[in-house]
Amino acid sequence: MKKAIHYINQFFAGIGGEDTADYEPEIREGLIGPALALNSMLDAEVTHTIICGDNFMGSNKDEAVKRILGFLEDKEFDIFVAGPAFQAGRYGVACGTICKAVKEKFNVPVITSMNEENPGVEMFKKDIYIFEGGKSAAKLREDVKVMSNFGNKILKGEKLGSADEEGYFPRGIRHQVWLDTEKTAAERGVEMLVKKLNNESFKTELPIPKLDRVPIAAPIKDLSKANIALVTTGGIVPIDNPDRIQSASATRWGKYDISNIERLEGGVYKTIHAGFDPAAADADPNVIVPVDSMKEYLKEGKIGKFHKYFYSTVGTGTTQAEAARMGKEIVEELLKDKVDGVIMTST
Amino acid sequence: MKLEIGNFNVKDVIFGEKTMFSNGVLSINKEEALAFIKEDEHITELDIVIAKPGDSTRIVPVKEAVEPRIRPDGRPVFPGVTGDLESAGEGRIHALKGCSVLGVGMHYGSFGDGLIDMSGEGAKYTLFSELINVCIVADTDEEFERFEQQKKNKAIRWAAHRFAEYLGNTVKELEPEEIESYELEPITKRTEKENNLPSVVLVMQPQSQMEELGYNDLVYGWDMNKYIPTFMHPNEVFDGAIISGSFMPSSSKWSTYDFQNFPTIKELYKEHGKSINFLGIIMSNLNVSLEQKKRSSIFVAQMAKSLGADGAIVTEEGYGNPDADYIMCIAALEDVGVKTVGISNECTGRDGASQPLVTLDEKANALVSTGNVSEIIELPPMENVIGELEALARDGLSGGWAYDEILGSSVREDGSIIMENNAMFCGDRISGWSTKTMKEF
Amino acid sequence: MVKEIERAGIPVVHMCNLIPVSTTVGANKIVPTISIPYPLGDPATPKEVQWKLRHHRVGVALDALTQDVEEQTVFKVKI
Repeated sequence: MKKAIHYINQFFAGIGGEDTADYEPEIREGLIGPALALNSMLDAEVTHTIICGDNFMGSNKDEAVKRILGFLEDKEFDIFVAGPAFQAGRYGVACGTICKAVKEKFNVPVITSMNEENPGVEMFKKDIYIFEGGKSAAKLREDVKVMSNFGNKILKGEKLGSADEEGYFPRGIRHQVWLDTEKTAAERGVEMLVKKLNNESFKTELPIPKLDRVPIAAPIKDLSKANIALVTTGGIVPIDNPDRIQSASATRWGKYDISNIERLEGGVYKTIHAGFDPAAADADPNVIVPVDSMKEYLKEGKIGKFHKYFYSTVGTGTTQAEAARMGKEIVEELLKDKVDGVIMTST
Repeated sequence: MKLEIGNFNVKDVIFGEKTMFSNGVLSINKEEALAFIKEDEHITELDIVIAKPGDSTRIVPVKEAVEPRIRPDGRPVFPGVTGDLESAGEGRIHALKGCSVLGVGMHYGSFGDGLIDMSGEGAKYTLFSELINVCIVADTDEEFERFEQQKKNKAIRWAAHRFAEYLGNTVKELEPEEIESYELEPITKRTEKENNLPSVVLVMQPQSQMEELGYNDLVYGWDMNKYIPTFMHPNEVFDGAIISGSFMPSSSKWSTYDFQNFPTIKELYKEHGKSINFLGIIMSNLNVSLEQKKRSSIFVAQMAKSLGADGAIVTEEGYGNPDADYIMCIAALEDVGVKTVGISNECTGRDGASQPLVTLDEKANALVSTGNVSEIIELPPMENVIGELEALARDGLSGGWAYDEILGSSVREDGSIIMENNAMFCGDRISGWSTKTMKEF
Repeated sequence: MVKEIERAGIPVVHMCNLIPVSTTVGANKIVPTISIPYPLGDPATPKEVQWKLRHHRVGVALDALTQDVEEQTVFKVKI
C-alpha cells in the first residue's frame, strides 16, 4: 500500500489555539485530527502526522522547514498533503511553504487546500496544487475529500484534468487538450462571435494574463564614468558558434571578448537566429550588436568604460523559464564585473 | 458571386493502367504521372507513393498539401500558378474529396516542413492522417538552398499544385456525387432579413513575412509580402486564388488544402442569413516590421468600418512575431467598435509556463486557442517512412533538433522520434478544424 | 531577460523594432530600431547612412540609461 504524510497546524492537532501558535514542529506516528479523515478517503496509508504552530512557521520559517524536511528524510511516502487551511492566512502560507519545500526536496506530489481569500493561494498557486476549499472548518470533510480524490488519481497514475475540471487553482501552466465535444475551432469561433454580437456572455479560451512588471532601476548618474555592456537575443556569435547556441528554443548563451576589436566583422561573426533573413547581419553584425558605435562613444568619452564582453543568445521560441534562467546567469556576470548599465538589442 | 464545388468521394487510390476515376477509385498510371511531373526539369529524382489512413507510415519532410481539383471550363485551378491569371470564385469546380497531393522532400527538409503519421498516437495531430495521400517524393536541382534552413521549395510545391490539377482532370467530364454551393449577393444587394442581422467580416492573415520573394503565400500568383490588405470574396479563397508558402513552422501553417476547404469560412457561410450577415473577407497579411504591421491594421480597421461590419473574426497563419499583427489587428478593430474574436494557436513553451502570445492586449477578450506549438511529442517507430526521417533532426525543421543535452536527437536509431508540435504538418489546424484547445493546469 | 537585468537593479534599455512585444514583456526603457533582420542599419542604404542611424540610436539608448522615468517609456529617435 502506498504511503502518505499529512501536515497540520497546532489548532487542528488539538493542542490549542492562538496561545500555542509557537508550537515547535514535531512528527507523530499515526493519525491526528484531519489525518483521520484523509486516511479514510485516500488510497494510501497515512503513516505520520506533522504538527507545527502557525507562528513558529511564520517567524522561524527556515528553521521550521529544515526541521520538518529532517523528519521526512528517513520516511517512505508517496504523497504529501497539508491542510486544508480554509481562510486561515498563516496556516495557508504554512501549508504552501512546506508543500513547496517537500516537493523540491523529495520530488513527491504535494496537495493542499485553501479558500480563495487565503493569501497562501496567490503566494503558492504557481508552485503546487492548491484546491479551492471552504471558508471554515465546517467544510473539512469535503475539502479533504477533494484532495483525496485528486491524490488517488495521482497515486493510480490516472490522467489529471485541467485546473477547472479538477478544482485546483490554475498554476499558470497552459497545455493543449482535445475537447471531448469535438467542437471545431471554426464552430467555437463563430459561436463566440455571435454571442459577443448579441451581448451574451461568452468565455474566451485565452484569458489575457496580468503582466509581471519589475521596478524601474535607478538611472545612471554620470555616464562618462559608467561601464556599459551589450546584450543581444539576436544570435550574434563567432562564426564557428563555439557555445553551440541553438538557432531557436535556445537553452544556451555565450559571452565574447570584444576588448581588442573596433567592430564586429562579417565572416568573423554571424547570426545563428532562425527567425529572420540573416543576410544583413551576417554581412555586418554591428547592425545587431553595435560594437562599432559603442567604441566610438568610448573614444569620445561619452561612456567611461565599454564592458569587454558582449552576451548573446537567441530569443525565438525560448521559454520564459529558460530566458529567465539565462538572464539570471548573465546578470551574475554583469554584477561581478560591475556593469552599470546595459543596452539589450533584440531582433 | 456563386461557386459550385462538385464533389467526388475518393474511397481508394491505386496505381493502374489508366489514370481515371471510377466507382470511388482513383487510378493512376504511374509512368505517365512521373513523366508529367518531370516536365519541370528542376525535378531531378522522383517517386510517387500512396499513403492511406491506418498505414504504419510516417511522412516527412512534408512541404505542401493540395486537394486535387479541376475546372470543367478549362480555367486553371490555381490562377497565376498553374496557368494564366483568371478570376476565381465563380462557376463550377470539381474536387476529389478524401484525398490530397503531398509535396515531400526525398531527402531534404526546411524550417517550415512537417511530419504526418498515418496511424497510431501521432495520427491524431493532423487532419492529413485521415486522408489518402498521394505523395510526390522528389529531389530537385535547387542547389542554392539545398543546405539552407529556409527553403523556397518551389519545384516540389509547384509539382504538388500541378499534379493536383492533373489528377483532378480525371473528373473533368463526370457528374459529381454532390454539389456544394456558395453564394453571397453583393453587399448592397442583400435582402432585408440579411441586412438586419449583425454584419461580419473574416480577417485572414496569411503568412508573408519573408522579405525575399519566393517563400510567402501567393494571392493570384502575387507574393503577399508586397501587398496591403484588400477585400476578397470568400469563394476566391475556396477556388485557388491563394496558395500556401514555405516559411511558417508547420503546425501553424495553412496549406493550400486548408485554403481550398477553409472551415472558418464554411462556418460563417452556414450562419449567413441565420445569425449573421457575412460580408466577406478582408485579406490582410503578416509582416516583419512594426510600421508594416501597423499599416495593415489601419487598412483592415478602416475597411471593416466602411463596410459596416459589426463583428469580425481575425485569424493568423503563424505564431511568435505574427502574434503582434494578430493582436494589433484585433485591438484596431475593437477601437473602431467592431466586436472581434480571434482564432490562433499559442506558444506556452514545453513546460506550458510561457506567455501564450508575444503581445497581449486586454481588448482581445474573445480568443479561440487551437494548440501549443511547443508541446513535446514522442512517437514510436513506423514501419514505413516516406521521404527521409533524418530530415526532422538534421535540416532545421522548426520542431526538430539534431542535438539536445537531455532529449538527444529528434530522430532515434530505432526510428522513434521526439519533437515539438511545431513540426506536425498543419498540426494546430488553425484554419478551423482544430478540436484542440488550451487549458490551464 | 531584460526583466532579469532590471530586477538586479541594473538600468537597461531595450532596443527593438516590435515595441508592443517589448512593452508586453515588461521592458521599461525602449528605443526603437528599424527592423527585425537589421535593427541598426538598412543594408539598402550606404554604409555612412547606416552608421549615422546606428550611432544616433545607440546614443539615444545611452542617454536613456540616465533618464529617470516613472513608467514604460519609448524614447524618440530622430533618424
